[in-house]
Amino acid sequence: MNPARIQFLRDKVTEIALDDDPNASVNPTRILRGLNVLDVGCGGGLLSESLTRLGANTLGIDASASNISIASLHASADPSLNFTSGISSLLPAHTTVHRGNKAEGKGTLTYTHTSVEELLIERGEGAFDIVCSMEVIEHVDNPRDFLDSCARLVKPGGHLLLSTIARTPLAYFLTIFAAEDLLGFVSKGTHTFSKYVNPEELEGFFRSYRSQSRPWISGPVAHRLQAETRGIIFVPWNNEWVLTPRGSKWAEGCNYLFWVRRPLE
Amino acid sequence: MTENLNLQRGLLRHISQFTEVELLDKIKVQSIATEDREGGGWPLVHLSDGRTLRARLLVGADGFNSPVRSYARIQSYGWAYDRHAIVATMNHPPRGPFQGSNTVAYQRFLPTGPIAFLPLSETSSSLVWSTKPQLASALKTVDPQVLADMINAAFRLPDVSLCYLQDRILDAEQSGSPLKPSQFRDELAFRERSDTIDVRSAYSSLAPEQSSAGIPSEDADAVPPIVTSIQAGTIASFPLRFSHAESYIGEGQGVRTVLVGDAAHTVHPLAGQGLNGGLADVEALVRCIEHALLRGGDVACDKLHKLYSSTSQPVVWARSVGLEVLNELDTIKAALMMSAGSERHRRRPGEVGWELAAKSIENFATGLDNARALGGSLANVVGDGVRSLWERGGSGRA
Repeated sequence: MNPARIQFLRDKVTEIALDDDPNASVNPTRILRGLNVLDVGCGGGLLSESLTRLGANTLGIDASASNISIASLHASADPSLNFTSGISSLLPAHTTVHRGNKAEGKGTLTYTHTSVEELLIERGEGAFDIVCSMEVIEHVDNPRDFLDSCARLVKPGGHLLLSTIARTPLAYFLTIFAAEDLLGFVSKGTHTFSKYVNPEELEGFFRSYRSQSRPWISGPVAHRLQAETRGIIFVPWNNEWVLTPRGSKWAEGCNYLFWVRRPLE
Repeated sequence: MTENLNLQRGLLRHISQFTEVELLDKIKVQSIATEDREGGGWPLVHLSDGRTLRARLLVGADGFNSPVRSYARIQSYGWAYDRHAIVATMNHPPRGPFQGSNTVAYQRFLPTGPIAFLPLSETSSSLVWSTKPQLASALKTVDPQVLADMINAAFRLPDVSLCYLQDRILDAEQSGSPLKPSQFRDELAFRERSDTIDVRSAYSSLAPEQSSAGIPSEDADAVPPIVTSIQAGTIASFPLRFSHAESYIGEGQGVRTVLVGDAAHTVHPLAGQGLNGGLADVEALVRCIEHALLRGGDVACDKLHKLYSSTSQPVVWARSVGLEVLNELDTIKAALMMSAGSERHRRRPGEVGWELAAKSIENFATGLDNARALGGSLANVVGDGVRSLWERGGSGRA
C-alpha cells in the first residue's frame, strides 16, 4: 500500500505547488525535501521511513510503546535515515530540522511515543507542512476530536492525508470476512465495521470545519485543489496496491485515501 | 561482434562519469556474513584490504560459481551437457573482391554439437565449438595448425569423414604421438578424395588462396573463409552446463541479495543468449529499484521481491520451459540434426509422431495432478470461511 500512498501524496503536493506558482520549477521527486511531516499512528514505521528517504523531516508518533520500539529498531539499522530516538522531538520544532546535517536534501526521522492531542499541546498549531494518518481513524474512539487535533497541527496551506476504509458491504466482505475470518491475514477483532468512515463523511466534516473562520472545503462540489478522494485497490496478479483512476466512485467503496488542504490565511 | 575488452572499456568509461560510483580494484571479497543485529541482518562483505562493506542490496553478478548465491543459500539446479566449448581467435585471408566483407556468421550443427564462426574483422574471426570433452581436450593440445585445418574441415566435410578425422586425432593423442600438421593434411586430402570434393570447390579445405583471388567458386558464400592459423594464446575451453537458480532473490538469512546473469542462470551458448539474459536481468532490476526509490522505498524490501520476480517470472518461465522443451523433445533435435546433414539421428516419420504423442499425454497427466492439488487446497480455504460464518451466525442466534 505504501508506494501508492506516497505516490498520491507526492502528486497532490506537486499539484498544489504548481497551482500556487505556475512558474515554479517543481521536481516531483524532490518535492518533499525539507518539509516537516507528521505520521500519526506510524506503527512499524513503513510510511515514516519512506517519507524520510524522500527528504522529509519526519516525526512518527504512535500510542503504542511497543510499536515505537519496533519502528526505532528497524530505522536504526538503516544509516540513510538519519534516525535519532525519541526524546529530542520534545524540543520545539525548529531544533529538529538542524539535526543530522550529513548531506543536502536528506531527511531526518524521529519517533515519539505520544498521542496527537499531547503533541498539539507541545508543538502548538500549524507545526507541520504535512500531517498523515494511515488506517487510524477507524480505530479511534472520537473521530471528530481526532480529526480536529490532526487538522490543527497542519500549517496554513499545508496538507492532511488520511487513509481508511469505507462503510460498505464490499468493505465488510473484504476487510472483515475475507481478511479476518477467511484468510486470517489480520487477527480477529482488528476492525469494527460500524467505525468505518465513508468519504462523504470526511468531506462533510471539512466542509463545516473552519480555520480562521475559513472552511476547508467550500462550494457545492469539493474542488480537487481543496480535497480529493482516491480509491486504492489490490491487484492480485501484480501483487501490489494501486491508486484507482481519478473520479472512479466504485473504487472508493473499500480502502481509500483522503487528502485535504488547510486554507491559506 | 564486439570483443569483451572493448565492451568492458566502454562500460568503465561510462561509470567513471558518476562520482557516486566507487570502483575497488585489486581487492577480493574474502567472505560474506550476515550482520548480527536485531532489526538489521544486512549482508556484510569483508574485503581483502580489511574493510567491511554493509550492503543495503548485494547484487550477485559474480558468475556461475556465485559466492553471493551460496551466501544467500539459493539452490541452483541443472545438469552438465557432457560437452565442452572450445574458443579461439582465428586468422584467415580477407574475403575476395567479389564477395563483400567478412560480416557473415556461420554455424554448423554437428552431431556432437554446434560449431560457430563469428567475424571480428576482415582477417580474424572468433570460434565457439561445443563438442565432446575428450575431443575438446585433444583439439586444445594438438598442433594449432592441425586445429586450424580441423576447423576448416568441420565446416566442409560430411559427418562420416569428420568422425574419421576426429578419431584419428583422438587415437594419435592416446598413443602419445600427436598428429603433425603434414600428417593431418594427408588424412584430410584422403577424405576429400573419397568424398569426391574437387580441390577448386569451396568445400575443399586444401586449395591455397582459393577464397581471396579472382571470381569465387559457386558455393563460396556457403562456407566461412579458410582459416590459416590460430592466434597464439587464444585457445581455451570450458564445460557447458545448464543451471537455473531456484530464486533470484535471497530470503531469510540471505535477505537483501539478488542474482543477475550467470549467477542466476547459465545456458548453452548455442543461441548466444547468455549475455542477453544477463542484460535483461539488469534492466528489470534497475526498473524495480527506480520504482522503489521514487516512492521512498527501501530498495531491498519485499517490494523488490514482488516486482523483480513478478516482472521477470514469465520470462524466467518461458526461458526455462523453452530450454526444457528443446532438451526433452528429441524430435526437434532430430529435425535440427537432419537439416544439418546427420545420418545417425534420422528416424522413420511414424516413430517421431508416436513419441510426440506419448510425451504430450504424459505432460497433460502431470498438469492434471497439479490442478487437482490446487483445487483441494482452495476447497479447504473456502470451507474454513463458511464454517466460521456459520459459527458466527449460530452464536448470534443463541
